[in-house]
Amino acid sequence: MEPILTVRSMDKSFGATVALRQVDLDVWPGEIRGLIGENGSGKSTLTSIIAGIQKADAGEIRFHGQPWHPASMIDALNHGIGMIVQETGTIPGITVAENLFLGESDRFRSSLGLVSRRAMEREARKALDVIHADHIRPGTPAAMLDLQERKLVEVAKVMVKKPEILVVDETTTALSQKGRELLYQLMESLKKEGKAVIFISHDLDEIKQVCDTLTVLRDGRIITHFSRENYDDDAIKTSMIGREMQGDYYRADSEPSWQEQVLLKADRLTGSGLHDVSLEVRAGEILGIGGLSECGMHTLGKALFGSAMLTGGTVETGGKAYSDPGHATALGVGYVSKERDTESLCQQASIRDNIAIGGLKHIQMKKLILKKRETAYVQKQVDALSIKCRHMEQPVSAMSGGNKQKVVFGKWLGAGSRVLILDCPTRGVDIGVKQSMYQLITKMKNEGRAVLIISEEMAELIGMCDRLLVMKDGAVQKEFLRGQMREAEIIRYMI
Amino acid sequence: MGKQTWKERIPAFASVLGLLVLIAAYYIVGAVRDANVAYGLKAIVNQSVVVALVATGAVFIYTLGSFDISLGAATGVSALLGAMAYNATGSLVIMFLVCVGVAVVLGFINSSLASVFNLPIFVTTVAMMSVLSAFMLILIGWNGAGDTVKVKARDVRPLDNIPFKVFILVSYIALCWFIFTLLPTGREAKFIGGSPVCARLSGINEKKLGIIASLISAVGIGLGAFLTIIYAPTLTKDTASSIGMDVIIAIVFGGMPVSGGPRSRILSAVVGAFSMGFMTQIMSMLNLGSGYGQMIKAAIFLLVVFIALGSQRGKLLTR
Repeated sequence: MEPILTVRSMDKSFGATVALRQVDLDVWPGEIRGLIGENGSGKSTLTSIIAGIQKADAGEIRFHGQPWHPASMIDALNHGIGMIVQETGTIPGITVAENLFLGESDRFRSSLGLVSRRAMEREARKALDVIHADHIRPGTPAAMLDLQERKLVEVAKVMVKKPEILVVDETTTALSQKGRELLYQLMESLKKEGKAVIFISHDLDEIKQVCDTLTVLRDGRIITHFSRENYDDDAIKTSMIGREMQGDYYRADSEPSWQEQVLLKADRLTGSGLHDVSLEVRAGEILGIGGLSECGMHTLGKALFGSAMLTGGTVETGGKAYSDPGHATALGVGYVSKERDTESLCQQASIRDNIAIGGLKHIQMKKLILKKRETAYVQKQVDALSIKCRHMEQPVSAMSGGNKQKVVFGKWLGAGSRVLILDCPTRGVDIGVKQSMYQLITKMKNEGRAVLIISEEMAELIGMCDRLLVMKDGAVQKEFLRGQMREAEIIRYMI
Repeated sequence: MGKQTWKERIPAFASVLGLLVLIAAYYIVGAVRDANVAYGLKAIVNQSVVVALVATGAVFIYTLGSFDISLGAATGVSALLGAMAYNATGSLVIMFLVCVGVAVVLGFINSSLASVFNLPIFVTTVAMMSVLSAFMLILIGWNGAGDTVKVKARDVRPLDNIPFKVFILVSYIALCWFIFTLLPTGREAKFIGGSPVCARLSGINEKKLGIIASLISAVGIGLGAFLTIIYAPTLTKDTASSIGMDVIIAIVFGGMPVSGGPRSRILSAVVGAFSMGFMTQIMSMLNLGSGYGQMIKAAIFLLVVFIALGSQRGKLLTR
């Protein structure tokens, strides 16, 4: 049997940053190949070259034994390799159907030259049905869809072309369990048809469950390969980060603990899908909010920061009520959104600007922002969070997911926020960065800050939280204390 | 952590380098053609200073990712009312105060309407442009002599000199630079322009910034109106009518994206305005007809924007 895809001696650099060095890879028919590595290790660069998003500096790709030089992502998709990208790949201002058939509207032209929206939406319906996304309407503007639905539109857009190779780049972090299972089924069906899947994820358990083989990248090089029978957590982690992981992954203590002072209090929050939600978070406490993706927990995060439209209820910190993000920020509340790239970061802005914006009042001296003080302030956050960058003028759009998330953390930690609302704080970050984030969250707790973690990862909630509130249908169903959290019981209240 | 290399910094200064090249070209062409370069320089300043003033203030609005289409009409109305105030009182100080005051009131109305009705500033300025254009006609009808409102040229002549105009321009640029660079206003405006959602979730008050930007811009409009009367004391319904478009060209020519955001800079406006002024004079010295001149201008314009945007092109990692 011949490999369906071969990559030989591939190099790629972005300015001074070497993204890939002499990469060799074979992908076989009927294989689900996992790619794993730290943020910035080169996984997305490699797959984006394969999928026609960009060109390699050197090296050769062969697809079915023939040289592979796609002109674009659409060209690659039309010729058999489709990719679902990590970040948002839909255009918000147009409908689902128009997104699905972007660049192909000629297919739906009538003899008069007019595009038939009805025909396009009919075809879109079929494409969505293939991936069982029956709840998404083809005529809906993409901007009105949530993150998961937009991802499913991207999945449909690729699957409608029946690709020979499907590249899935950290897509599952945007999907609920149901959405993930749906994607796994699609991958399995491709495998059975003798096609191949390249699957990128930072979730080691997921990648072990889904993939037949696993390739580890580090610093742009292929480090090693694992076959399913050789999967070993420690060996995989060590090869990913180039050393053995030191220290605890989650918190080491097993008992809940917090101080007396209530730092965040929400009373009977109602509206935008929330029903009478009340909670308190105390100094030195990590409160978890868990549930299915649509349970209202993400809205609750926004409501606690004063940015959701509510019909009733109050939020206060330190005894002072607030109802907008500006006031919340001034009172020392910080918010890390699940949608990091669009809501927590200004992509065109530099690391300096993104970190400094949260702490301008700390940088000011006699009301003036002096560059020297600003540089020192940003440098402190960059050092404290070990943010990998060439210099602080680098735009955050040029950074890996984990480093972007560190910049977001730096924005709020530098600002001295006493209350941190973290919505999916480790979404799309690698295992090494995850560990350092958990250590950072533990440090925040020890410093007496109140931390609220909203997460779809059960292990993260159980591993990190003093208390866990399980939500369903916009309301809190059950409270669990640290040491009493059992996965099966938590799930019972979620569904 | 390293520092930006020179190669990475060059695109940020491309427009300044462009202006320096144009200045050098102006002197070279002037020498070759044996032209009166000193007289030409005076013409450049007179042509560019009003655009530079209005554009410098408008940078605040453009930085927000918005734009103000009523700049020309607001300048015209401020100048007309300033001229009428002078004719009524004979005081240049009152004329100055009326020019700036009217512009500030108009800016406040614009931004307040945007804030109250939750509209982009651009939308209210579209309505304002129509209202102000009509208002100019009414003002001229009420108080003018024929189709004009005139201030006696000899009354304003003492101020019609380059040092005074440059003093006004430099003072205003310094004020804007101070606010834009050393106060949070500029940082926050850049963030709003780059990502309004992120800005809001970073605690930045978009409406407040909109009002501040409009007021700062209004001061530039008022100063521009004042210098317009000084330079051309006969005002018509077309006074300052081309300023809106000139401002857009100056800002983009100065290397700032018209969509605003983090790459916005105060100096873009003045660099762009003077680049246009030098280019026009060079074309004139070369006796290029307006057709050729426009084409060459367009080509240089594209080149400058291409270089200025170079820093963002092809340098992004995929994630």
